[in-house]
Amino acid sequence: MRLYLIVSASPSLCPGDNPQATHLPRAWAPLARPPPHGSRLTADLFSTNPGALKSPVSEQTTTPEDQRSPEDPLTPPPPAASLTPEPHNPGTPPDLFESVAEGPVVVQGGSPKLSSVPLDLPAGGNGGEGKQQEVSLEEEGDEPDIFDTMSSPKLQLNQAEGDGGDEFIQITVSDPQKIGDGMSSYMAYKVTTKTNVSYFRKKHWSVMRRFSDFLGLHRKLVEKHLHSGRVIPPAPEKSAIGTTKIKLGSDKNADSGSLDFIERRRAALERYMNRTSTHPTLRADPDFREFVELDAELPRATQTSALSSAGVLRLLNRVGETVNKMTFKMDESDQWFEERTQQIESLDAQLRKLHASMERLVNYRRELALSTAAFAKATAVLSSVEEHSSLSRALHQLSESTERTQTIHHAQADADFYVLSENTKDYIQLISAVKDVFHERVKTFQTWQHAQITLAKKREAKAKAELAGRMDKVQQAQEEVTEWEGKVERSQEEFERISRAIKKEMEQFDVMRVKDFRDMVIKYLEDLMTSQQQIIKVWETFIPEAKAIS
Amino acid sequence: MMDGMEDVLPSETNGTKSGRSDTVDLNDSTLQVDISDALSEREKVKFTVHTKTTLPDYAKPEFSVVRQHEEFIWLHDRFDENEDYAGYIIPPPPPRPDFDASREKLQKLGEGEGSMTKEEFSKMKQELEAEYLATFKKTVAMHEVFLTRLAQHTVFRNDHNFKVFLEYEQDLSVRTKNKKEKVEGLFKSFNKSTDEILLAATQKDVDDYFEREKTFLLEYHMAIKDATTKADKMTQAHKSVADSYIQLSSGLSQLGTIEGPRLEKFINKVADTFEKARKVEGRVSSDEDLKLSDTLRYYVRDGSAAKDLLYRRLRCLANYEQANKNLDRARAKNKDVHAAELAQQNACEKFEHISNKAKEELNDLKARRVTAFKKNLIELAELELKHAKAQAQLLKSCLQSLPEE
Repeated sequence: MRLYLIVSASPSLCPGDNPQATHLPRAWAPLARPPPHGSRLTADLFSTNPGALKSPVSEQTTTPEDQRSPEDPLTPPPPAASLTPEPHNPGTPPDLFESVAEGPVVVQGGSPKLSSVPLDLPAGGNGGEGKQQEVSLEEEGDEPDIFDTMSSPKLQLNQAEGDGGDEFIQITVSDPQKIGDGMSSYMAYKVTTKTNVSYFRKKHWSVMRRFSDFLGLHRKLVEKHLHSGRVIPPAPEKSAIGTTKIKLGSDKNADSGSLDFIERRRAALERYMNRTSTHPTLRADPDFREFVELDAELPRATQTSALSSAGVLRLLNRVGETVNKMTFKMDESDQWFEERTQQIESLDAQLRKLHASMERLVNYRRELALSTAAFAKATAVLSSVEEHSSLSRALHQLSESTERTQTIHHAQADADFYVLSENTKDYIQLISAVKDVFHERVKTFQTWQHAQITLAKKREAKAKAELAGRMDKVQQAQEEVTEWEGKVERSQEEFERISRAIKKEMEQFDVMRVKDFRDMVIKYLEDLMTSQQQIIKVWETFIPEAKAIS
Repeated sequence: MMDGMEDVLPSETNGTKSGRSDTVDLNDSTLQVDISDALSEREKVKFTVHTKTTLPDYAKPEFSVVRQHEEFIWLHDRFDENEDYAGYIIPPPPPRPDFDASREKLQKLGEGEGSMTKEEFSKMKQELEAEYLATFKKTVAMHEVFLTRLAQHTVFRNDHNFKVFLEYEQDLSVRTKNKKEKVEGLFKSFNKSTDEILLAATQKDVDDYFEREKTFLLEYHMAIKDATTKADKMTQAHKSVADSYIQLSSGLSQLGTIEGPRLEKFINKVADTFEKARKVEGRVSSDEDLKLSDTLRYYVRDGSAAKDLLYRRLRCLANYEQANKNLDRARAKNKDVHAAELAQQNACEKFEHISNKAKEELNDLKARRVTAFKKNLIELAELELKHAKAQAQLLKSCLQSLPEE
């Protein structure tokens, strides 16, 4: 059965907006293997939102689309998921808001949970459903292996953002495929976009892109926008080991390790795309548009290859920058920046630590799932050997109960991973991007300082020339002085401009970050709670069996 | 210190509650044995064995002695080697007190002290200390169960060595086997197992019942041993999950301080919840250990003892048949007939005696096993349910109380 569950991300809210517009972080609905189980699971989680969402399963919080203020650079919200109001309802369906506005929606059902579901949108749209949000749990039919083992919910982020009007854009990355063979093979992904933004040609379409295309896009965006003070969402990292394994392995023998890797990457790419598209400036960027729209293969972004000359150059540049970062101590006159820089640093360190402990949790829980499975088997054997019949029956039941518990643990481990750990990792990378932006500012400051110093030198040279009575030199010196005066002015402007821009971006970033974090944690707690409730059921069914031993 | 010990003991005593202070009244003369205290010194554990009795043979009606683990083993060996008890299942000896795992963990924690915050460190230390305490309690319980079974057994309770063990106020000067004796012991057990195998291969049992029992016990023993190992691994993993919540919780609270007022309250609530959740998870793990793993483990050992019984019987049967052959030969040669007859008669009696007793004991074992499993499985399920409910409730109230944006 195919259920679709799309969670759309709401755009970051401008401060002061409807506080109840919540951003749904990427949600991971733990999909238990047996679909009915899983879907029931998420069904419990979400209270259905009558009215606007006729989703069978989950409800999503609404995107306060109409609350989007036409303010400028909204930082790309983290993949918050919110319900996308029907695109054809520009005046955001009031019911959505009402339902959200009802009391502590945050908590039960109506909480800004994102249930993500492995979503594989068929290229041609969903069977004629006009609604943009499909809420259903999807089980990948095409590639049962991958999704069965991973039961990966694909997050859909959609942001309703834009200047005026209910714009929304939703990007899914799906269908990872290996194209070609051997070392020259690569992974291609289907990028499906749904949007009502005006400058896109269509409302709903798909293109195929390969991994290096994503990286190329990121690089171009950085080149173009970083120096304007924008926070560019980071792209997923390259991984030599993972990719080589995939390249050299055959499709049939794709082991669960590679499948895991593919799924992680797919999810990361999806989050990346959605984050980027939430940012209105980035979304309007022609390279971005070409990326999502162009129906042909993009020119190979060979420059992204690590071994190319451009790659080496980039590496050298990066090294240089790092040295620069470490050595140049800026004379910070702006206290805001002083504080923020420190805060960013400590946030970074703390998040890394937190992430490490989350990874440990994931590992332990996976271990728990494995050892529980082993125990279930051993108990089954014991049950078959046991000669006392009712004890044997009870032991058999124990084995089955443990088997079910194992599934629960496994799903919870996935939730641990995707909801908590991967999101935190994304955040660490976003903080990195923030640091990059801050550093851009430092660089402009450096330029300004350098210009000032040079100006002083030029003035000095001119004065010297005047003293020496060298009229020809004076003329030249005067020109240079004027030139550098201009440069000083411009670089100062640049510096102030970027400082302002960053402050604004950071405001949005903060709001979005806080929301996202809350939502992520809430989602996770809910998942945890659901797991416990399932465990309750397992044991409740077991107890009478145990009591029946005679 | 000994409270709650009752939960730990599998119901051993023929259906009666094996509480510390409960005993079965047999023949009006009671013999109550328990371990009233235990002291853990660096390498050893000293148990205070306390006896209350109305049996006339004992000098005083109530008394205590201090015993160490080796002395328990000595007592067990006395029973094991006693031919009169060949037809009985000898209660399995308690396992050696093993704090190595806890000690190792404590050491590792000490080494890693620099890398974690004070609270984290103290919390983990607390956890480890609780673990240590739990191991300690368990070993005391195991020793106690061993003694209680002996005390309640109609035949064993009257054993002279048992009396000595309970009464003799000095050290029993049971030194652990020195090297020579250890090697001897090894040799003996090696011999025994080869003999076992040999017998199993060559000796045909006359009684179908025993034949079946043997096969069953062997299979069962393997299965239950396997289940015990897996159960142990599972409870360990559970404990690790619970412990990792500690770091999560403290990491989150630190994040809260950095984040500042906007998120701080929220984060602190969550961190607190994780801390509470961890405690519950920890309890799940220890309850699983107690109810599930320990039950399984006990019956591994008891099963072992039953196997020993069967072996002894088989050996006896072999001897009996041998004696028969000897008798026939003696009759044929007409030499030493009388001696051979006597020998044969002895062997025959022994064999019959063992067989009868063994049947009883095996049935007894079965009944005990079923009861113990039933009790512990029910308790396990109820505890798991309780903890899951507690956690669900905890999470629910956390979610409800999280401040709205």
